[in-house]
Amino acid sequence: MNAGDVATPASDAARSSAPLLRMTNVSKSFPGVHALQGVDLELHRGEVLALLGENGAGKSTLIKILGGAQSPDAGEIMIEGQPQSIANPLDAQRAGIGIIYQEFNLVPHLSARENIFLGQEGGGLRWLPVNAERQRARTLLDRIGVPLDVDARCGALTIAQQQVVEIAKALLTEARIIVMDEPSATLTLQEVDRLFAVIRELKSQGIGVIYISHRLDEIFEIADRVMVMRDGQHIDTRTIAESTREKMIELMVGRTLENEFPKQPAEIGSPRLRVQGLCRGRDVQDVSFEVRSGEIVGLTGLVGAGRTETARLIFGADRLERGTIELDGVPLRLRHPRDAIAAGICLLTEDRKAQGLVLGQTVRENFGLPNLARFSRLGFLNQRAENRSLDGYIKSLQIKVTGPEQRVGTLSGGNQQKVVLAKWLERNADVIIFDEPTRGIDVGAKFEIYLLMNRLAAAGKAILMISSELPEVIGMSDRILVMHEGRITGDVSDVNHTSQEVIMRMAVGSSKAGT
Amino acid sequence: MEKRQFQRLMFAIVLIAIGWGIPGCGGGNGVDVSVSSTEGDATTSDADAESAPGTSTPAKQRGTIGYSAMDMGNPFFQIIADNLTRDAAAAGFELIVENAGGDVKAQAEHLDGFIDKQVTAIVLNPCDRLSAGPSIKRANQQGIPVFTCDTQCVAEGIEIAGHVGTDNEGGGELAGQAMVEVLGEQGGKVFIVDYPSANSCVLRVKGFRAVIDAHNKDRQEGRIEIVGQQDGGGEPNLGFSVTTAAIQANPDLAGLFAINDPSGLGAYTALEQAGKTEQVTIVSFDGHKEGRQAIKDGKFYADPIQFPDKMAIQTIENILKYLKGDEFEKVTLLPTALYRKVDADRDPELE
Amino acid sequence: MKKLLQSPFVSNYGMIFVLLLLCAYFSLATIDQQNPVTPQAARKIVAFIAAQPTVKNVLVVVPRGVEDRRFAEAVRQGIEQGPHKVVGVVVGDPAMTRVEFVRLGAAGTTVDFVVTQYAAAKWDLLLPAGRQKLQQEYPSLGAIDVVKPNSYTWPTFLTPQHLLTVANQTALTGIVAIGMTMVIITAGIDLSVGSLIALSGVVVATLVGRMAGESDPTLVSLILCGMVAVSVCALLGAGSGLLATWFEVPAFIVTLGVMQIARGLAHKVAGGSKPVRVDSEMFHELSAGNAILGIPNPVIVMLLLYLAAHVLMSRTTLGRYLYAVGGNPEAARLSGVPVKVVVVFAYAMCGALAGLGGVLDASLFRTARASGAMGYELQIIAAVVVGGTSLAGGQGKVLGTLIGALILGVISDGMRLTDVAYDTQLIVFGSVIVVAVLVDKLKSRDWRMLRG
Repeated sequence: MNAGDVATPASDAARSSAPLLRMTNVSKSFPGVHALQGVDLELHRGEVLALLGENGAGKSTLIKILGGAQSPDAGEIMIEGQPQSIANPLDAQRAGIGIIYQEFNLVPHLSARENIFLGQEGGGLRWLPVNAERQRARTLLDRIGVPLDVDARCGALTIAQQQVVEIAKALLTEARIIVMDEPSATLTLQEVDRLFAVIRELKSQGIGVIYISHRLDEIFEIADRVMVMRDGQHIDTRTIAESTREKMIELMVGRTLENEFPKQPAEIGSPRLRVQGLCRGRDVQDVSFEVRSGEIVGLTGLVGAGRTETARLIFGADRLERGTIELDGVPLRLRHPRDAIAAGICLLTEDRKAQGLVLGQTVRENFGLPNLARFSRLGFLNQRAENRSLDGYIKSLQIKVTGPEQRVGTLSGGNQQKVVLAKWLERNADVIIFDEPTRGIDVGAKFEIYLLMNRLAAAGKAILMISSELPEVIGMSDRILVMHEGRITGDVSDVNHTSQEVIMRMAVGSSKAGT
Repeated sequence: MEKRQFQRLMFAIVLIAIGWGIPGCGGGNGVDVSVSSTEGDATTSDADAESAPGTSTPAKQRGTIGYSAMDMGNPFFQIIADNLTRDAAAAGFELIVENAGGDVKAQAEHLDGFIDKQVTAIVLNPCDRLSAGPSIKRANQQGIPVFTCDTQCVAEGIEIAGHVGTDNEGGGELAGQAMVEVLGEQGGKVFIVDYPSANSCVLRVKGFRAVIDAHNKDRQEGRIEIVGQQDGGGEPNLGFSVTTAAIQANPDLAGLFAINDPSGLGAYTALEQAGKTEQVTIVSFDGHKEGRQAIKDGKFYADPIQFPDKMAIQTIENILKYLKGDEFEKVTLLPTALYRKVDADRDPELE
Repeated sequence: MKKLLQSPFVSNYGMIFVLLLLCAYFSLATIDQQNPVTPQAARKIVAFIAAQPTVKNVLVVVPRGVEDRRFAEAVRQGIEQGPHKVVGVVVGDPAMTRVEFVRLGAAGTTVDFVVTQYAAAKWDLLLPAGRQKLQQEYPSLGAIDVVKPNSYTWPTFLTPQHLLTVANQTALTGIVAIGMTMVIITAGIDLSVGSLIALSGVVVATLVGRMAGESDPTLVSLILCGMVAVSVCALLGAGSGLLATWFEVPAFIVTLGVMQIARGLAHKVAGGSKPVRVDSEMFHELSAGNAILGIPNPVIVMLLLYLAAHVLMSRTTLGRYLYAVGGNPEAARLSGVPVKVVVVFAYAMCGALAGLGGVLDASLFRTARASGAMGYELQIIAAVVVGGTSLAGGQGKVLGTLIGALILGVISDGMRLTDVAYDTQLIVFGSVIVVAVLVDKLKSRDWRMLRG
């Protein structure tokens, strides 16, 4: 971890006085919103600039402008002192800008090589120089330092590997500036380490990297400087050496948060949810545990360890092969999520957009979906009751919406998560499973969700929290379960005396430990 | 959102109501009386002297005639349409041509349109022999005379002012004679491509079968055996399909009767593909240009030819006689004539 | 411009506005002479005759229309109350009129006035030349003046009778399009509806024929026959839905198969492509009658169904579920929505409504054909799309579909009234559908021409 060596711009950058990239006074408005107001950004050769801000702070818009996906209302972009006009993604590519969006632009059915060269084959009908391509793809991947089967289908690669393909794609077009939007969001810890190695490699080649993330730990590890945005404005840019965690959070949210994890112990009662010997294929093998009332149980592990699969079994979303699920001592037969919901179990899914919400529908319609029995008589809806109840949640959860008729797809991640929360809170379930509840959510909203978990625990609910973020798991749980390859490999009840390292060892399966 | 939808509904209702009210007012004020004396000058008699004279129809423009063709994809109906248009114009009528494309609903809509336009007369080739009934009845209720042409409508309780068609049964007999002419003494298997939706085609088959039955009577040797009869839809594609199947089922097929030229040509293509054009003789029906060309090229043996042009001319004559109050034949069946290669070789229209 | 397009008013009322514009256009394009044959017109005629200073002989001549007959009767009664004389009434064709003139001429009767209407006034006999000829043959007839109600100018399109005709012609498409809207909202498609219409028609026609035998069937048996036909189609629809959900086969392919199956069944039931006749006056009355305010029954049925469907889609749990399932089936399932049941319902409903359409169709034409309603599925899908329902599912309004069906109906009818050639009609139709899809796409992109 010798990040300090490259904390200053690399030596070849010093040759030219102009920075690699300079964006000055960039502004952009959408109907009713000033997304960006006179934002400046500077990036040097061989530097990693972290871009920090809550959701809606304007980071994405800034990146889209740089990538040519949106055009600014005002402002200037200069690369090595040369003014650039970037009107579309192709212009950006020509100017040496490579953007790796959170959702990759890869064709899953094509191989890594084909994806790397997609769009670069040249016009017209011509013979593809497959061998030359293969050679070149290997060279690029070597340059990144991650050897990969270039003929593997992209859909079969892990997320981390796909990310590498995206980086190779950017390097192929001679990118000198690479932007990564939340690259670590779906990676496991080891994969993140490997990603950092790649980024350091890019730095050493004089490439400037803009790194967007919510994870402060990562920023301290990889970035040279950090730029904080809030409400479409540039708040501060400083070197990592001058920054502290608390300061950055304060800059982001615009106020001081006393404690990142406001855990309040609740009175822990009798077991409410008890599962025994749950099995489903290789994903879930003989999983047993219990969650008591007032208890928050953290369930962690690497991606693919079987955490989400376990939650889906408890929720009736997938068919159970073997095992029993009991709620308050009563065994349940779950054939459909409907059965679980009726019994008093609810699941806040990991992927809000794909599984949690109907994006094209309104806040009210999403909110009502699992609760229609309550808001209807003989199949006819009572919209007044629905609205009244929703209004209560909009106030208590501080959901920022224009009204109950706003489309959920237009809300920010944090507010979307709050809508999901509202719809399940209305169910008044006994067991609440949170799957990655704070993923892609900004610091302020995270804090509110933690407070809410406290409230639910205090009300005697049993809470199962699945998370990959160890600080969150350690900070919020009463007990921690660790999964590895479909089995529970760790059960930590003394949360106050454990560490990320201990849990990580369990997660990789190298040690079976329990306290 | 719900409120808006409700508003939308109300909006629509108000609109319909407005649409209702306006013509009522207009109608009320406009009703007047016009008198036309023998000399032909129109005088308006009532108090309202400003309103235009009512009988000022120009002599050249006597009105409109609506024509709903069964299917313009078949050149037969195009010939009818062309002849109707020409003769109607000569008599001072405008002809509106609609193409039903074989769809009874489309034809019903055409007739409704003609009724609302208050046409002088309606000419149609009913898409089938029953479905046009209710539409014709509506025209009857508006006092508009309906003339059918080609296919007859056999629905009950309707009034047809006049019909001109082909003597299809007689034509079928001619086709049967042609088949006997070819297969003669040795006999053989014959397949029929029919189209039972059209009554005319049912009659053609009836005539054809009658001749074949007569030929077979008291005969042990050289019988002509009808091995099958399938719906060819009166169009090439289905004609092709049913013939393909028929040859597979009867490899020794000797003859084929198609109830019209389009399906006959489809049948020929099927024979061509099976390499049996030499073995199987086709007798078709209609005799418009492509059919006659097929006879000249030796694809068909013969066609009882119909005369769509005469049909159209006769129809307009009937309409004019009807308006004059003259007597005319309510049902005219034009005889067909058998057209063979000799006739085709002399036909100036063919290449 | 963009602001205007994005405004809620345009996005909500835009389609109605388009419909209105079309109506206005076709109204202007069909301004024509309207010829009243009303009781009011009859009174005017009577007043005109009554005002004559000397006693007149009147002959009434009209064609055999229903209104014409009433008109003739009113004129006769009116005139006979005064001093004037009705020497004859002809309700018939020109030939009968000639016979009447010959009778009057032979009897030496004078005819001062012939009271008639617009169509008969154009018969050769009543044109000036024809009358002169009559006079020459039978001088006793005297100088015959023709009296008829004056015409007035008004758009043919905008007469109540015509508007009802348009609505009636839209009814079949409109009714089936309700079911199609539900299916499309669940992100599916049903290509089998055309065949189902034919199947249902053939089934109901055959059953009515069988059950009735010689006597006219009773209302109860007719309803039973109709219900059987509708249920058969609903079952086939439910089958499509089951295959599409349980086995996750693309709806496009499943319904393509069902389309052929239903067509084959229709031919089997009908025993070929011969039309099946329905000889029941009561059954015909279902489609041909106009019990309420003179509005044709199919239009009433359509409006009631739209009202019910609107309530279902916007006010009931099932409606909410349909939208949710189309918008995001996984999120819906994880919210406890019985996704498969909801989808099967949509397909069954679509099948049932196609069945109802087939029953109405058979009733209207008094016949059913196994090869009927060919290609109607595309017209129906077009109505849904023009009505603003997204083919991607999750979005759309039932009432929008009504407007869409009416737009297509008005265009096809208007083009017919204005004598647009068949080929042009096809081109216009195709363009309307393409424009509708484009508008839908642009709307979802906030009217940006380029992506980004």
